[in-house]
Amino acid sequence: MSELFWFEKYRPRSFEEVVDLEEVKARLREFVKAGNLPHLLFYGPPGTGKTTMALVLARELYGEYWRENTLELNASDERGIGVIRERVKEFARTAPVGKAPFKLVILDEADNMTSDAQQALRRIMEIYAQNTRFILLANYVSRIIDPIISRCAVFRFSPMPRHLMAERLREIARSEGVELKDDAIDLIYEISEGDMRKAINLLQVAAAVSKVVDANAVASAAAAVRPSDVLELFNLAMGGDLAKARDKLRELMYIKGVAGVDLIRVFQRELIRMQLDDDVKAEVAELLSEVDYRLTQGADEEIQLMYFLTKLGSIGKKIRVAPKKR
Amino acid sequence: MPIPWVEKYRPKSFSEIVNQEEAKQILASWICTRFKAPQEFCARWAKRRDKEIKEARAVLLWGPPGIGKTTLVHALAKEIGYELVELNASDVRTGERIRQVVGRGLREASLFGYAGKIVLFDEVDGLHVKEDLGGLEAILNLIETAKVPIVLTANNPFDPKLRPLRDISLVVGLKRLSEDEVVEVLKRICASEGAKCEEEALRSLAKSSYGDLRAAINDLQLYLAGRKVLTVDDIKRAGERNPQLSMFEILDRVYKARWFDEARAVSFNPSFDWEQYFVWALETIPIVYKDLEVMSEAFDRLSKADMFIGIVKRTQEWELLSYAMELALGGVSQVKNKPRLPPFIRYGFPQRLLLLAKSKEARRRREMVVEYLARNLHVSKALVNAEIFYVLSALAKKDEHVVERLARALGISPIDIKNLL
Repeated sequence: MSELFWFEKYRPRSFEEVVDLEEVKARLREFVKAGNLPHLLFYGPPGTGKTTMALVLARELYGEYWRENTLELNASDERGIGVIRERVKEFARTAPVGKAPFKLVILDEADNMTSDAQQALRRIMEIYAQNTRFILLANYVSRIIDPIISRCAVFRFSPMPRHLMAERLREIARSEGVELKDDAIDLIYEISEGDMRKAINLLQVAAAVSKVVDANAVASAAAAVRPSDVLELFNLAMGGDLAKARDKLRELMYIKGVAGVDLIRVFQRELIRMQLDDDVKAEVAELLSEVDYRLTQGADEEIQLMYFLTKLGSIGKKIRVAPKKR
Repeated sequence: MPIPWVEKYRPKSFSEIVNQEEAKQILASWICTRFKAPQEFCARWAKRRDKEIKEARAVLLWGPPGIGKTTLVHALAKEIGYELVELNASDVRTGERIRQVVGRGLREASLFGYAGKIVLFDEVDGLHVKEDLGGLEAILNLIETAKVPIVLTANNPFDPKLRPLRDISLVVGLKRLSEDEVVEVLKRICASEGAKCEEEALRSLAKSSYGDLRAAINDLQLYLAGRKVLTVDDIKRAGERNPQLSMFEILDRVYKARWFDEARAVSFNPSFDWEQYFVWALETIPIVYKDLEVMSEAFDRLSKADMFIGIVKRTQEWELLSYAMELALGGVSQVKNKPRLPPFIRYGFPQRLLLLAKSKEARRRREMVVEYLARNLHVSKALVNAEIFYVLSALAKKDEHVVERLARALGISPIDIKNLL
């Protein structure tokens, strides 16, 4: 299954295969050679290789036994620090397999944890320090509490330089038998903003559209991976067609099984790119935050989302009545 | 804010409770022999010396709805200065939940100077064997181990599933109220509300309540919503009392209410079921209010009401429920720029009820796919939802194999996966 997505298929498996991040590699190699490791903190924007490097490190340390010795957790997916504690406890109970004297816990999105939860995490790191090492992954180091930072070796990950990303994309295209044009690479780089996962996803979808990947194919790929059904819901409500909007909402919630709060989060991500006047954007942003809150408090997602859609409809009505202020 | 009269005029002491002399005496004798209680109270009420009263580990009060079972326990707690820890049928009474609520209640030292705690399990015959898994065992367990008085209430104590509870409790039946007794209470309420009520009208309310004092009081409040006079004609005009209203009639009363109070009072009707009402309101608001601003205001109120429902469900602070009712009834009814409503409104049947079963399956399947992708691709579920799912969906459109491979890996049918994308 991991072969299905190119970003996973071509994820580097060893230090050699990682084409950038020379300094990070050099220091991590020293740790591997010494056979010991402090707790680590990798931080940087999405798609810059934090997870990849953590997995590479696991392979370099444990060889074929890397899976048995590695616990991957995601702070925002686990329900609370208690669950994390339990899973670490369970994992740390058995001795590591192979030569390294400790096991690895990779904790992604550590910066999404509240500072209280991070304090508890710090305790967990101490309690199991005997036979585990933690690799914390974060987008923002500023959201990690000082006591944790001071216990970790900290590494910064920066976006892949343009020429290296181009090289990597060409390699992938070559081995997939896809013809990749230069203008396509330019556009991919621009859209992905140095996020390697996004870049490879775009390449893959573009290649599914046409075997010759040029800027046009990339542009239609970029459109294809936008959450079009969710955006349609937005446009229906904004345009005042609440009957259709309600049907669409129910299709998304009850047939596709999308959770209400995920819908709101998608709108929130897409808002910046929407063609709306800035005062309207501000009003919608305010509404989104309000609905997100009500969803966490309330009992019935459909009621909350109908409030969202009808409110959106009345915002849209104002625009339709007085189209442009400028 | 109109408090339900049932609450407002609920007897606060033993002496205010009418017609339940025997039950009062048994209850008092039990408390006074087995637990700490004020001497004055015991001297007045604890007159029974029966062996089974002294030995009972718990008391099971039974009788038809609305004759004062719960009230009796509330009054008892007040008389002896105990804090009441209460669970009723609306709670999810799994064993775990009971241990959580009651267990905590019993451990915590009393903050407000109560002399002790008394536990009330209301409507135990409402326990679902399947849904309230372990609830019965938890209650039994508590009775065996707790050092505090435990009272249970039930409409029908002879339900076979209650047998174990019956066996270790003292079963006390409450008497059905006579018509005269109900009329007396209604008269007092009319006087206290400053309303002029014809005796005949009150008698007619009492008659059709069949001894259910709560229903009679609720009806009285319904009839007197926004007015100070009650005549026999009013009641005749409204037809036989205790209208078993259909959901369509309830919606009609809410949407067409002239005043906030009138809409709010619908919740006092015995056939009002608020959980159903929310589903129907969700369905019908766009049918009744066509204008977008009016519609969105109504949904705003319903949404706020739903927030209170969420809070009540999480915290068990049932006092907050009245805010939810006011917002969901009065709030939805009395919107700004309310349109003139036609005499007949075709309220649609909630699609929701038909879709709900589907939803559960779809959500479970989606969660399965998301979890699988997150694990195998080393990314968070949030990222799968926001990004990877759309990549998958774009790829699947171009390549049939994508769906097939995923379906095989997860052991579900390709069609089910397609529906998610």
